[in-house]
Amino acid sequence: MLLLVACAARPQRPTVQSPLPTTVADLGAAIATAAERSDHESDPRIRGELAAEASRAADACLARDPQAAACLYGHAVALGLETKAHPTRASELLNNMLKALTSAEAADPNYDQAGPARVRALVLIRAPRWPLGPGDPDEGLLAARRAVTLQPQYPPNLLALAEALARTGDANGAKESYARARDMAQALPSTADRDAWLREADQGLQRK
Amino acid sequence: MATLLAGAVATLVFCAPGYPGGTGDAKPLLDQFASAAVAAAGWPPGSLTAVYDPTEEGGLAKLASPDAALAFVPYPFYVEHAAQLHLAPLVQADMVDTGPEERWTLVAKTGRVTSAASMSGYTILSVAGYAPEFVRHSALQGWTLPADVKIESTGQILSALRRVASGEKVAALLDQTQAAALPTLPFAKELESVRQSPPLPVAIIAVVDSRLPAPRAHALQEGLLKLGHTAGAAETLAPLRLKGFVLPRLPARPAAP
Repeated sequence: MLLLVACAARPQRPTVQSPLPTTVADLGAAIATAAERSDHESDPRIRGELAAEASRAADACLARDPQAAACLYGHAVALGLETKAHPTRASELLNNMLKALTSAEAADPNYDQAGPARVRALVLIRAPRWPLGPGDPDEGLLAARRAVTLQPQYPPNLLALAEALARTGDANGAKESYARARDMAQALPSTADRDAWLREADQGLQRK
Repeated sequence: MATLLAGAVATLVFCAPGYPGGTGDAKPLLDQFASAAVAAAGWPPGSLTAVYDPTEEGGLAKLASPDAALAFVPYPFYVEHAAQLHLAPLVQADMVDTGPEERWTLVAKTGRVTSAASMSGYTILSVAGYAPEFVRHSALQGWTLPADVKIESTGQILSALRRVASGEKVAALLDQTQAAALPTLPFAKELESVRQSPPLPVAIIAVVDSRLPAPRAHALQEGLLKLGHTAGAAETLAPLRLKGFVLPRLPARPAAP
């Protein structure tokens, strides 16, 4: 479950460079790169290193501009990677991740195609539920609806809404959202991301 | 009633309705637990397998299988199904958070529920809602609930508590871990504990329908009682939130009114 949460935090951002960059945009991109590599990494040691790398980049970004949505969002993503690397600290890390996402959403709700609300939704619907963790499907559904309101064309927002609806018992609403996500994804040029969104939508539609 | 032959592979069915976790997530932890239990009992390696089901129906279906010799179930499940499944308690779980027993707490909107009679027309929501016998006669023993009180199962206790706080005719029956966390909720002041159970067992391992020969059952009981005290056991038990096991101390069941 924690792996899923951390994967959910992967922003759809351009990739790039290694030694610590100096601009906010590049630091944000460095965090995105670490997140993407972590998604495909099975070695826990390397995942730990990537989490540390993302965390260093997030700290540098926040030192440069503590109010920038890119830095606040990057900090949340870095905390997601730490959760994946250190599951025993999951509860504390996920709570901090949610705080960082609240700040990022306040700074720029449209950042990364409504990423703060979308990632918040996924954390809330996938994390262990109260009282064991910060999971809260009702609040997750509200966050997913916000993401879709802000960026209704972006398939991951519709996928997050579908998942939230399924978790809160609205199977028909979930199917409808999966179908809309598939339609939106099909209208996009073919990329690895688009293929993954289509797969997720199809899997959601096949679930009973 | 077919007793498994000595040396045959027995299955331990874990079933925890209402609690999070999927069959796939649980599998490695259960395999580890089964290996540790077998080693502690001196049974042949591989002679115990473990399966998990998060639903009451699924758990009952698995327990109906002739190789299902053992059940590891929450006490509410035990109360509800012990007679039907011919469950004979072997050990009682000693949990990390609560110990071997816990109290259940009925929570209502502040000032609304003053007696059992004032619950007329209410719905009680709980992770144990699948076990109405447990709710009425164990958790709320001493209270005679009006006949129109409904008891429903929910895995979304936070949603249930929001409904309570909003003033719906709903009360929530919480386990000890949930009740202890109530003050962390932002709407905690809207909620009031109106009834608490005596200490009740948390979970039980039981032999199903005499499907385990007595000597094997005894060896397993001895092994499980030692398990919490053996080197390395903590790594096996902690992911299941277990400290170890104690002999069963089941409360006398109050007679149904």
